[in-house]
Amino acid sequence: MIKKLVTGLMGVFIALLLGAVLMLLQGYNPLETYAALFQFSLLRPTPLATTLKNSVPLVLTGLSASIAFASGAINLGQPGQLLMGALAATLGGIYLDLPAPILIPVLLLLGMLGGALWAGLAALLRLAFNMNEFIVTLMLNMIADLFTAWAIAFPFMEKGANSPRTPPVNPAGWIPEIGGINLSVVIMLVAVAVSWFLFNKWKAGYEWRIGGQNSLFARLGGCNTNKNFTAVMLTTGALAGLAGCLIILAGPHRFLRGLGANYAWDGIMVAIVANNGIIATLLYGIFFAAIQTGALGMELVTNVPSEISLVLQAVLVLVIVASRGLLETIVDRWSLRKRVRGPAT
Amino acid sequence: MNILVGLINGMIAGATPIMLGALGGSFTFYAGVFNIAMEGMMLTGAFCAVWGSYTFHNWFIGILCGIAGSLIMALIFILFAIVLKTDEFITGIALNLFAAGATVYMLRQTFQVKGAFSNPGIIPVPQIHIPLVEKIPILGEILSGQNLIVYIAALSVWFCYWLVFRTRFGLRLRAAGYNAACLESSGVSVSRIRVISLLLCGVLCGLAGAYISLGYVNLFVEGMSAGKGWISLAAIILVNGNPLGIALISLIFGFFDGLGLFLQGTGIAPQFTAMVPYLATLAALFVYSTRKKKRQSVSWT
Repeated sequence: MIKKLVTGLMGVFIALLLGAVLMLLQGYNPLETYAALFQFSLLRPTPLATTLKNSVPLVLTGLSASIAFASGAINLGQPGQLLMGALAATLGGIYLDLPAPILIPVLLLLGMLGGALWAGLAALLRLAFNMNEFIVTLMLNMIADLFTAWAIAFPFMEKGANSPRTPPVNPAGWIPEIGGINLSVVIMLVAVAVSWFLFNKWKAGYEWRIGGQNSLFARLGGCNTNKNFTAVMLTTGALAGLAGCLIILAGPHRFLRGLGANYAWDGIMVAIVANNGIIATLLYGIFFAAIQTGALGMELVTNVPSEISLVLQAVLVLVIVASRGLLETIVDRWSLRKRVRGPAT
Repeated sequence: MNILVGLINGMIAGATPIMLGALGGSFTFYAGVFNIAMEGMMLTGAFCAVWGSYTFHNWFIGILCGIAGSLIMALIFILFAIVLKTDEFITGIALNLFAAGATVYMLRQTFQVKGAFSNPGIIPVPQIHIPLVEKIPILGEILSGQNLIVYIAALSVWFCYWLVFRTRFGLRLRAAGYNAACLESSGVSVSRIRVISLLLCGVLCGLAGAYISLGYVNLFVEGMSAGKGWISLAAIILVNGNPLGIALISLIFGFFDGLGLFLQGTGIAPQFTAMVPYLATLAALFVYSTRKKKRQSVSWT
């Protein structure tokens, strides 16, 4: 655990250093830029609350990808599942008239259902026709993107709006803020905790993990790998759908055009950097949300364009992943040396 | 008859980038590299091609810049996946992220625009009119007057087929994917073969990118590769990398791409017509998977 933390922090540090070199090459002051970046994301209370709220979709889609990858299901469909979940929750929120304590859970369930069904379609195609879920989920992303674009432009478009968007959802379905912190953050933390227990403590999670490491062994050991695959796809789809639902209910309260473009590959990015660990997904999700959130503030005080955060993210992913193996060897050797010397001195 | 010619020309236009990307990817497929970075290479190529064409007012330099940009992505892939031995799947995803981020950043940084950049200063790649063929009634409209890169793509099919199946390099390339240990023990560096395959992939994806941005639209839009790299990947998997199969399947995808554009005039919502190529990919995968069940397949996941 400590080893992971140390290597993770070293990886982040090296990546930030490389980012600083890139900024120097472009003629910007890296210290000033980083100071502004983190001031507008983590170091002040109001930006911190925004960062946490923005981290919700990253962490949830990251969880979705982490659990899928660790279980051996190549679910790359988080963007599509997120959109379908968001659309389902939006439609529920427009047409259902219920008091808030009932409406919010119903909408959360609708969002999860929307995502799970979209992922379930990929699972069905895999099980019935042996179609590779890797390509299927990618194509379903494009289709979901176009389908939701159609849904908000034709049947569910707000009357008189200039650009395609749905009318706002019933205000009873809006997720409230308490003490400046949006409650969607709490829901996210609950989802992380449940996922952690499910994946690390429950029998189902054990079977999933074994299936991810060696599916032949899992099958010989008596696991129903097809059933597990379906369960993994539905669960991870539901997590991505929940992310979409929370974006709508905590943020714009309606489905706007281009909603999905911002979250396209973020979940997969976080899962890769976190090496499919659940706690690591939470931490890296918040960290990447901080970079995205801080970038806008950074643009205001320095003259560095906010788009540099996109480049910085990609550098972080490549460097953290590439350095992981190397750093772990170094830390291992270092702790071994310490242990060997320990009793002698 | 005009409709038919329009459909065929639409098919060729839609097929060209997929064909070039898939031919590039077929080299890495044979070499045993799990390369999913075609999407990022194409996008970078598309941006660099526009940059080169606009800066130097010359389409040829534009194409060269597109290839160079795509090659830089291939070099990063080589650095991480071959030299540092990072997981190929993760490297590919990270590279695609990098391409998406870097092109948006560079768009803002060099042209001071967000979203899209179009300017009369961008010189498009010309269409080639073949003197005598042009005069043939219907065939002339199809065989002549296509974009230069279309002809390059058609030649690349034969070139790739020749390179993979008729040369010593091609034999080694296939051996690298089929049995790397065997190739290594007979004194050929597998890493070197894989590096070359990635560089070839970079060149072809750069051409695909140049076609996307300078071929028929003459501008750059954020994320304009729009999944073409992924469709290329699907094409490679469907035909197990065979260049002739790639040409055929790309034309089929191109046909549905063109059909989508054609259907736009018929009152069907544009979002549904835009879905056609992706649905066609799913349908092709369905046909392939149900037919393949008996055969032993190359595991790609």
